[in-house]
Amino acid sequence: MTDWRARLPELRERIRRIERPTAAVHGVLPFGIAAIDQLLPGGGLARGALHEIYGVGGDEEDGALAAAFVAGILGRLTTQKSSAGDGTVLWCLSRPDLYGPGLAAHGLDPARLVLVRAPRDTEILWALEEGLRAPGIAAVVGEVGTLAAVASRRLQLAAERSGITAFLLRRWRDGGQAARERNLPNAAVTRWRIAELPSLPTLGEPGVGHPRWRIELLRCRGGEPVCWEVEEADATGHVSLASALADRPAPPVPVQQFRLVG
Amino acid sequence: MPLADALSFFPGLATAAAEPAEDIAALRRLAEWCGRYSPWTAPDGADGVRVEITGSAHLWGGEPALAADLMARLDRRHLAGRIAIADTLGAAWATARFAEGKSPVILPPGDCGAALAPLPVEALRLDLVTAQGLRRVGLKRVGDLSAMPRDALARRFGQIVTQRLDQAQGDLPEPLSPLGEAPTRRVRLSFAEPVADPADLLLATERLVEDLIPRLAQEGAGARRLDLGFHRVDGRVERIRLGTARPSRDQRHLTALFKERLDTIDPGLGIEDVILAAFMVEPLPPEQIGLAGHAPTNETNSIALLLDRLGNRLGLAALSRLDPRASHIPERASVYVPISVAPAKTGAQRHPAPVPGSLDPRLRGDDEIRPPWPIRLFDPPEPVEAFWLLPDDPPFRFAWRRRRHRVTRADGPERIADEWWRPEGSSAVDAIRDYYRVEDEEGRRFWLFRMGLHGHDHPPRWFVHGVFS
Repeated sequence: MTDWRARLPELRERIRRIERPTAAVHGVLPFGIAAIDQLLPGGGLARGALHEIYGVGGDEEDGALAAAFVAGILGRLTTQKSSAGDGTVLWCLSRPDLYGPGLAAHGLDPARLVLVRAPRDTEILWALEEGLRAPGIAAVVGEVGTLAAVASRRLQLAAERSGITAFLLRRWRDGGQAARERNLPNAAVTRWRIAELPSLPTLGEPGVGHPRWRIELLRCRGGEPVCWEVEEADATGHVSLASALADRPAPPVPVQQFRLVG
Repeated sequence: MPLADALSFFPGLATAAAEPAEDIAALRRLAEWCGRYSPWTAPDGADGVRVEITGSAHLWGGEPALAADLMARLDRRHLAGRIAIADTLGAAWATARFAEGKSPVILPPGDCGAALAPLPVEALRLDLVTAQGLRRVGLKRVGDLSAMPRDALARRFGQIVTQRLDQAQGDLPEPLSPLGEAPTRRVRLSFAEPVADPADLLLATERLVEDLIPRLAQEGAGARRLDLGFHRVDGRVERIRLGTARPSRDQRHLTALFKERLDTIDPGLGIEDVILAAFMVEPLPPEQIGLAGHAPTNETNSIALLLDRLGNRLGLAALSRLDPRASHIPERASVYVPISVAPAKTGAQRHPAPVPGSLDPRLRGDDEIRPPWPIRLFDPPEPVEAFWLLPDDPPFRFAWRRRRHRVTRADGPERIADEWWRPEGSSAVDAIRDYYRVEDEEGRRFWLFRMGLHGHDHPPRWFVHGVFS
């Protein structure tokens, strides 16, 4: 009679793992803001997984906000003690317009980056996959436009296998291509859309105030779509929730509870 | 005589159009093919090839065997030629073109003077005028020249005569400048019969890499640039060139890099030689080998291997780092540096380090001297059409990439002038930039600058240099 009771915790663990296959396999990276972390499965951004980020409007071509978002995340990832390797980040892009001091202002030390320039999306995806197989890399970032679902599945599997987090910054050539491709499904664990918002004026001073963003989590495996308004990340890489205009996120769906029967 | 006259004499004359460029290219290919004997080869004039075989003759079983092999292969390719081997370039040139007797002619070492004496003076590579002048005074053979007093010859006919004489006799050095770069190490594999099967070529590659690695290990060096040449039967040479980000003598890694590119080789009718040459060799301290003969998976090692794989498919120039520089001009403050260039000493220059700031925006004062940097910087800056109030207000409207933006908030101007102390800098008015940080109605934030001042010769132009987040 006590035999199956002893096995119950193990069974619970197995069921939890089946429900959320990627949740805590390699750990999570918290954002540091309770309102965001609470709504992400596992309490943060899943490591060892593929995440997709893109912008809105003109930013679909430039990818500035997406890059800033990723830079903040990478800054926290590479400064944590538990990060893999020596903290080298592989950043694959086709247009060499990434600016070092801008990355530093968001918390990512540009000395950690290895930049790979490739003109075609297929080559960038190949480089990402190669990077996901090298054990010394902390994270890989790729700026791609066209992404086939099969390719994204391969990247997700490679990330799971090696524990290296992969970020896809979607950057298209023009609005038409963006409109056709941004809603196509792929195997990324989370899909984020970052939009700029007019800045809050600093007290008493004209000019551009502190920048604000709208961060939307459009898709999340094991979670719900949510939207937040945040102040821009300062140099530690943490964003802060805009105090005056905190969006009220949707209430989380209660997780199914198993009741002991018998 | 004109072609028409010749045809009238011999109606059945075979003619072909002259193609001098093709001839030169063919001669170069022949010189490249002669690389199987030695890496020091070069075309000689319009009808000859020079090969430096010091130190490689023994690999062929001696100079007569080498000459016989070369003769046989030229015969097979229906090329008629004369071969001469001598101590000096000048003597070999003279013997090949002017000596009587069956080819190949091999002069005994150390005694060029006696062999050259009966040859005519044209054999000294003198131009026509000088040679005719020598003949007119009765000097018809090289032997006559060496008997004459040298300064008299030099005064009458110029330095060139004595120079050529010395070069031919070995008193003046005349190095051969080879076609390509001279490799530092070379290993060769020759086949008795031409080989075209890719599996065999792969085996040959593996064998060659296996031969080269112990030599590098003995000297404590690693290769940075390698060249694998496949010499085809018809005289063409196909090459695979490899570069690594760090010096390497890892056999598996190098073989894998070559294997990836092996299918770009077209073996034609067959390959008769495979030659692996290492060009750039750098010191590499001995590495500890883990158990079972595999190198331990050191993380820096695996990143270096990853960079080699990426570099060999995309080109080593595609891999770069962001390096900070001491400059207040934005596009010069952070440059893309190729990954193979060693990183600067720490502490020399650093990107502005991330400074932890307060999370509460109201407490974080704007006491930074410089405004924050954009995360995307366009190189070159993209021109925009802007409307602004004179003399230096920020623009209230601008058009970029066919989109109109209305500016709601702006910061600036921040003046950045060109670095006049640099040789390529200028202190012209046109080089002055006034930077503005503007925000449009949707919230997008740009870094615009105006080049030039109002009121001077040219109207000022506006550009967008970067996009903020």
